[in-house]
Amino acid sequence: MKLNKRSVAHYALSDSPADHTGFLRTWGGPGTPPTPSGTGRRCWFVLKGNLLFSFESREGRAPLSLVVLEGCTVELAEAPVPEEFAFAIRFDAPGVRPHLLAADGPAAQEAWVKVLSRASFGYMRLVVRELESQLQDARRSLALHRRSSWKAQAPDHWSPGLENGHSLSRDCSPVGLVEEEGSRPAGRSLAERELQGPASLLLGRGQSPVSPETSCFSTLHDWYGQEIMKLRQGWQQRARWSQRECEDQDRA
Amino acid sequence: MRYNEKELQALSRQPAELAAELGMRGPKKGSVLKRRLVKLVANFLFYFRTDEAEPVGALLLERCRVAREEPGGFSISFVEDPERKYHFECCSEEQCLEWMEALRRASYEFMRRSLIFYRNEIQKMTGKDPLEQFGISEEARFQLSSLKA
Repeated sequence: MKLNKRSVAHYALSDSPADHTGFLRTWGGPGTPPTPSGTGRRCWFVLKGNLLFSFESREGRAPLSLVVLEGCTVELAEAPVPEEFAFAIRFDAPGVRPHLLAADGPAAQEAWVKVLSRASFGYMRLVVRELESQLQDARRSLALHRRSSWKAQAPDHWSPGLENGHSLSRDCSPVGLVEEEGSRPAGRSLAERELQGPASLLLGRGQSPVSPETSCFSTLHDWYGQEIMKLRQGWQQRARWSQRECEDQDRA
Repeated sequence: MRYNEKELQALSRQPAELAAELGMRGPKKGSVLKRRLVKLVANFLFYFRTDEAEPVGALLLERCRVAREEPGGFSISFVEDPERKYHFECCSEEQCLEWMEALRRASYEFMRRSLIFYRNEIQKMTGKDPLEQFGISEEARFQLSSLKA
């Protein structure tokens, strides 16, 4: 398969900033058969976006190797790996050997695993979409704040994406407050229609937030862990509120 | 520069942002227009023979320029050699614009700029850094200074 290698190498050396750099020992992966001693070769690694390049040295002008960090998982490597502070980049594709790498120490190891596991285009897109929706929410609540009471905000505070196991709030919610829009958190359709930001046209293709590029479980787990905690808090507040509403109605 | 073709092939099988059969002509002199299935996945443009499962090639879409080419097509070139153009022919004006727009937005560097734009806007409005909640506010790739280039 062809690749515009010259442009790729040019990007590797371009003045756009690297996302992470450092020395790693490498063994395994294409072109580097495991050595009997098990000692990896020490190379200079540069992460740029979703591309991990290696160089002979810090001053190297031609990349030795390229790994595209899409559809992979990054995890700490354990025995029988003969090196300390090792980690593996694994691809969920038949016949693809993992890339085994080792850092110089535990801090570097942790930093590399963290940054590599979040390097995919899909992760970046997920963050951009989340911020886009937050900006829309912020703009809307500012506008509402200016022109009306908190009651007018109520529909916006109903999150359409929380059907699973959260029937209480729906059962008690007034008709029409729960929008059936799909799996995104609040405000998606508005965000898509109104937002003029640079990435807004990327949206609206009906994509699920669980895009295939973000299939790395730890990434998704991290990501949704945060989001879910936030949503859950909001939901619990709303649930309490609806419960009171229902009780009030029962009494009435 | 070594890379594992199987990894790229696996990426080419991922769902596409955009995919269509287009006419395609490579940058070499004397290249002729061929029918190719063209697939945009992340920041890579894959092209396939229409009867084959594995791609003929891939273009990394960083530091590229997408330009209108008359009649009914567009070209992709890369900053280090702008004269070397990959030509594509579309079925309609609409399709052409759709592809150009999608390609323009298909780079990691574009996403990075978008992210920094939203981060700043949110910070201006709310006084809070939205990336803090995800524990990624310190990452180099999200810093304003990374946009100097």
